[in-house]
Amino acid sequence: MKWLKENSLALAFMIMFLLAVGGQAVAGYLQFNDVQRAEGADPISLLQYVSSSTFAVDVTENWQSEYLQFFLFIMFTVWLVQKGSPESKEPHKIGAESDKDQQIGEHADEHSPKWARVKGLRLWLYSNSLGLTMGIIFLLSWLAQSVAGQAAYNSERLSDLRDPVSWGAYVTSPEFWDRSLQNWQSELLAVLSMVVLSIYLRQRGSPESKPVGAAHSSTGVEG
Amino acid sequence: MRTLVILTALAALAGCAADPAAPARAAERFHAAVAAQQDEAACGMLARKTAARLPDPGQSCAEALRELKLGPGGKVVSVSVWGDEAQVRLAGDTLFLHRFSDGWRIKAAGCKPERDLPYDCEVED
Repeated sequence: MKWLKENSLALAFMIMFLLAVGGQAVAGYLQFNDVQRAEGADPISLLQYVSSSTFAVDVTENWQSEYLQFFLFIMFTVWLVQKGSPESKEPHKIGAESDKDQQIGEHADEHSPKWARVKGLRLWLYSNSLGLTMGIIFLLSWLAQSVAGQAAYNSERLSDLRDPVSWGAYVTSPEFWDRSLQNWQSELLAVLSMVVLSIYLRQRGSPESKPVGAAHSSTGVEG
Repeated sequence: MRTLVILTALAALAGCAADPAAPARAAERFHAAVAAQQDEAACGMLARKTAARLPDPGQSCAEALRELKLGPGGKVVSVSVWGDEAQVRLAGDTLFLHRFSDGWRIKAAGCKPERDLPYDCEVED
């Protein structure tokens, strides 16, 4: 029970993620078969649909943009600040900060992660592990989007009696960039909204907000 | 991370793993039937929608196919398979096929390229 309570945030999002991706699979499958029937083609099974390039491109185009959003947010907030926003650090802390502030090397304590207590490549890797992981997942899911997208796009082109295109032609096509940019713009707007609205608005009890009584000008304070 | 690598591989498989031999055989069989004037058999290899659209009123599919006088297909030059769709280029023709539950069927034949526009086909759905 204690474990459930201590992990309730991750668990709630995990359950909602599974329900949403399951719902997407079922809705996408019904939609796909509706089009199949209209075109005189045979309907496919749910398993065939979830292993199709159509489903893969729809999933990965959203994933890549989410991981890009977090990658940019993590990296930009090292160097850029927003006065008054709890999402930003204070302007005098711009940059990678001192070893003391970051509790690394000789400033690490007995509770610090092992790789925070060493020096060299392992420390560099661990110091950048969150950004690197988000960045790598973004690149992999964007690559997956391009591969699945090419397959789905070529299937559609062949169905329209047109020649298929190469991967190189696909990743420079309006179709690929339309799929990518329509997701990026919404993610960037969401981050912008969070950074700016949290200067003036509050959510009592949420660490994503400043304390209700905190001044609009106070930066880097979480409630 | 592992899920993404698997997903990338699956996505690649979704596009590339299809067997190009089956649609190539279907295209060759279709042209062999046309060349042997077995038009009924050739009509039986068409997608249902294509076969339904081919004849004029009062005409059978076989009669309509015979009238078109499709040229010889020739050897397979290249095959592209993406999902349930395929394009087979023969020396003398380009065909588009769709995979149905009973196998590959001809959606369009006697096709000529029109730059990046859809091919102009003698037989199509």
